[in-house]
Amino acid sequence: MPKILLVEDNEMNRDMLSRRLMRRGYEVEMATDGLEGVTMAVAGTYDLVLMDMSLPGIDGWEATRRLRQAPETTTLPIIALTAHAMAGDRERALEAGCSDYDTKPVEFDRLLGKITALLSGGA
Amino acid sequence: MGTKGRRPARATPERRDHAARRQAALLRLTTAIAAAADERAVYGSMVTGLHDEALGFNFIGVFLHDPATGDRVLQASRGWKDVPANWRVKRGEGISEQAIQDGRLHYTADVTRESRYLPSLNSGSEVDVPLRVDGETIGVLVVESSEPRAFGEEDFEILTAAANQASIAIGRARLFDTERRRAGEQQALLDTMRDLAGELELARVLQAVLERAVTLLGVTGGEVAIYDEERRELAVVASKNIGKDSTGTRIRPGEGAMGTVAESLEPLIIPSYHEWLGQSPQYADVMVHSVMAAPLLIGRRLVGAIATVHSDPARLFGGEDLRLLNLFAPQAAIAIENARLFDAERQRAEEQQALLDTMRDLAGELELSRVLQAVLERAVTLLGVTGGEVAIYDEDRQELEVVASEKIGKDSTGTRIRPGEGAMGTVAKTLEPLIIPSYHEWLGQSPQYADVMVHSVMAAPLLIGRRLVGAIATVHSDPARMFGGEDLRLLNLFAPQAAIAIENARLFTDSQRQREYFEALVSNSPVAIVSLDREYKILTCNPAFETLFGYSRQEVVGQDLDALITTEATREEAKGYTERAIRQPIHGFARRRRKDGSPVDVEVLGVPVLAEGSRVGLMALYHDITELLQARREAEAASQAKSQFLASMSHELRTPLNAIIGYSEMLQEEVGDLGQEALVPDLRKIHAAGRHLLSLINNVLDLSKIEAGKMDVYAETFEVNPMLEDVVATVRPLADRNANKLVVRAEGVLGSMHADLTKVRQILLNLLSNACKFTERGTVVLGALREPTPDGGGESMVFRVADTGIGMTPEQMERLFEAFAQAEASTTSTYGGTGLGLAITRRFCHLMGGDVQVESAAGRGSTFTVRLPVRMDGPVATAA
Repeated sequence: MPKILLVEDNEMNRDMLSRRLMRRGYEVEMATDGLEGVTMAVAGTYDLVLMDMSLPGIDGWEATRRLRQAPETTTLPIIALTAHAMAGDRERALEAGCSDYDTKPVEFDRLLGKITALLSGGA
Repeated sequence: MGTKGRRPARATPERRDHAARRQAALLRLTTAIAAAADERAVYGSMVTGLHDEALGFNFIGVFLHDPATGDRVLQASRGWKDVPANWRVKRGEGISEQAIQDGRLHYTADVTRESRYLPSLNSGSEVDVPLRVDGETIGVLVVESSEPRAFGEEDFEILTAAANQASIAIGRARLFDTERRRAGEQQALLDTMRDLAGELELARVLQAVLERAVTLLGVTGGEVAIYDEERRELAVVASKNIGKDSTGTRIRPGEGAMGTVAESLEPLIIPSYHEWLGQSPQYADVMVHSVMAAPLLIGRRLVGAIATVHSDPARLFGGEDLRLLNLFAPQAAIAIENARLFDAERQRAEEQQALLDTMRDLAGELELSRVLQAVLERAVTLLGVTGGEVAIYDEDRQELEVVASEKIGKDSTGTRIRPGEGAMGTVAKTLEPLIIPSYHEWLGQSPQYADVMVHSVMAAPLLIGRRLVGAIATVHSDPARMFGGEDLRLLNLFAPQAAIAIENARLFTDSQRQREYFEALVSNSPVAIVSLDREYKILTCNPAFETLFGYSRQEVVGQDLDALITTEATREEAKGYTERAIRQPIHGFARRRRKDGSPVDVEVLGVPVLAEGSRVGLMALYHDITELLQARREAEAASQAKSQFLASMSHELRTPLNAIIGYSEMLQEEVGDLGQEALVPDLRKIHAAGRHLLSLINNVLDLSKIEAGKMDVYAETFEVNPMLEDVVATVRPLADRNANKLVVRAEGVLGSMHADLTKVRQILLNLLSNACKFTERGTVVLGALREPTPDGGGESMVFRVADTGIGMTPEQMERLFEAFAQAEASTTSTYGGTGLGLAITRRFCHLMGGDVQVESAAGRGSTFTVRLPVRMDGPVATAA
């Protein structure tokens, strides 16, 4: 099964999203801040990263930039999750190197669509 | 073009302003005409003035009537190219001849209907105003417009006034020319006589004639007398060897030898004077034996007498002596006559000179009392009267008021006289001159003048045409002096000068009063006002300017405004304002510097100042907005705080809400696994309520951002069709819920557009979800097409969302796009929604340079039309 790294500082969001993904059969591991996310992503073997953008310590944009610089994760699909449709967030996320982008609160079916598309495209 | 007819008489500010402008134009015009030095200059200033005052006349010309041929000859014109100088319009041609024939103003509203009109001159309507001098029409002022029916009452008034002033000026110029010519002729005559006579002093001429006669005739001596016509006496002016100096002796006709020949006009020889019965007692003591005397004649007119004497009894006078005397007598007669002529001419020349001096002095002088005092003094000197006075006529009070007074025994200045009262009152009533030989016996005398020492009075009205403007009176206190026709002639030389001076002063005073009014407006204005010349140097400023910037008027006049009230940092910006303001009005906000260096925030208004159609400078107005700015900064800070609060509040609200929405959604999936399906509807309600609350929060946040000007717009280029598909996919579940058919109609090739994709999507989602919500078992159509903008400068993308739902009444549509304005409170409970969707939709459209409109009728569905520029201006984001 595909393995997803969820980087999210909010406990409830983390819990909710991970449980729903696992219900759909994904393997989910979690990081609670940007630095942890980068360390885990570079060290692990993930098929996709869900990256919250507003994280304590280094934020999602910076974390994404670092992942893109690391050879292990240069092409790893990353979906940015940002708060309510701030137009600037979307552009900044894509600029930082995210593969796609979705807004919070997550519309789960739409997010699943994006995950599926990236995983099949990247396979 | 000329004004269209008479405006309503109501004194609106526009009307007052309009009237004031025309009055000012008329004043400038008439003043320029009045100041013209000669006839040609009068024509020039009339056409130039009427042209430059921008009254809307396309052609102005002055034609003089040539009495010899009946032609009209152009003297001056403005407004047409290629009009020949001295252009001659033949008798019988052109419509301006009517004004010459009947001396009245003629208006031709459409010249193309006139058979006599000269069609070579492209024109629409024409006004012809006669020019009349001394009751005779001498020419015509022709004014044309290229439009038909372009003239109205106001134009007629201004043109008539200009023609009247020109008539006065021409009359004066002609009088001036005539007088100048006469003065020249007299000067020439004087010069000739001076040459002829060789010697100006009559007594010495006559003495020389007498001495030559005495020598030639070989007589003892003789004398010459001249005849004083006024006193009817001979006066001896030359005397030689008659035993005494008889010079100064006065002899009545018939008295003695010279008196006898003066009466008989025949020569006379008296062989023995002492035996002669006719001898004069004045000559009883002279040692004379015989006398020969002859009258001095010019034609048959006596001018003097000559006598020669022998004291030697051995000598007798004979025929030969008489012949010789007759050689000298005409010489003496001519000398006397020349001297008399010379004196008379010199006197006339002095009159002319006085008149010319008066005219010259008055040309530039506009202060009435000084002008009239000058006129009066000249008149008093020239007429040789004791004194006089001048009064002006006050039309409002219908009284004369004395404004100049000279030696009438008291200072009568300020005396007010009713028409009919006293000498000036009488002429003011009759409008005819009047001579009163004995004032104290006159029944009409005024009690106001009972105490003056006046014997006789001559008074004349001062008239402009037939309109009374004042009166002049001169007086003799010497009972021996009388007024006659010659005095009246002289008074009539000065009366028109005084009349014109009064008229000009009246016009001047009117404009002065008007100027003072405007000056008061400026100086009492709380707004700082400063005026600059074309070099941006300060001409003047008002007290509010002094207060605002701390400079006195004396300190700033002549200074460069931009150097004075700016700092290094703001100088260039201020110069930019100034340079633009000389061409067109500008408005802005800026920071300026006071004299003490402190800054002041101002609202600046700059306007060009136009005078007689050309830019003469500019005017700047400064309004202190320091307090206003402070208030605005505070308001902005408050607004900023509110936005910040809303933003963080909505973020804080969203986090727990996300949990509510997320968990309720997740639980719906999980309860099935747990065999608890009965809980699903309740979970769905929690989920739906959470979603609604979220959209409400999002909308409030959007709206507050838009209103705080914080809503950013990110333009990107995107394909329209995929965007539409995406939107339709999102909204289809909503359509299905009310069993609506959702149809997309894209017309033609839509291609791509450059706009904020997120906002375009949100606009369409808002409209479509509304349409689905308010329609049941109907159709919702999403249409799209490209069309050119009405100005042709670009293209719009037009989206149409039409439904077959409940529609709206006009009242509901009125408030449709306002925030929280769902048609009725009950709508929210029936249909849900936040009431903010359409308000946000319209604001988004505006942000992208477009708009949204609605057509609807209750029960007949609604159609919303969104027009957005295919390429919006603004920041360009990287394309997705």
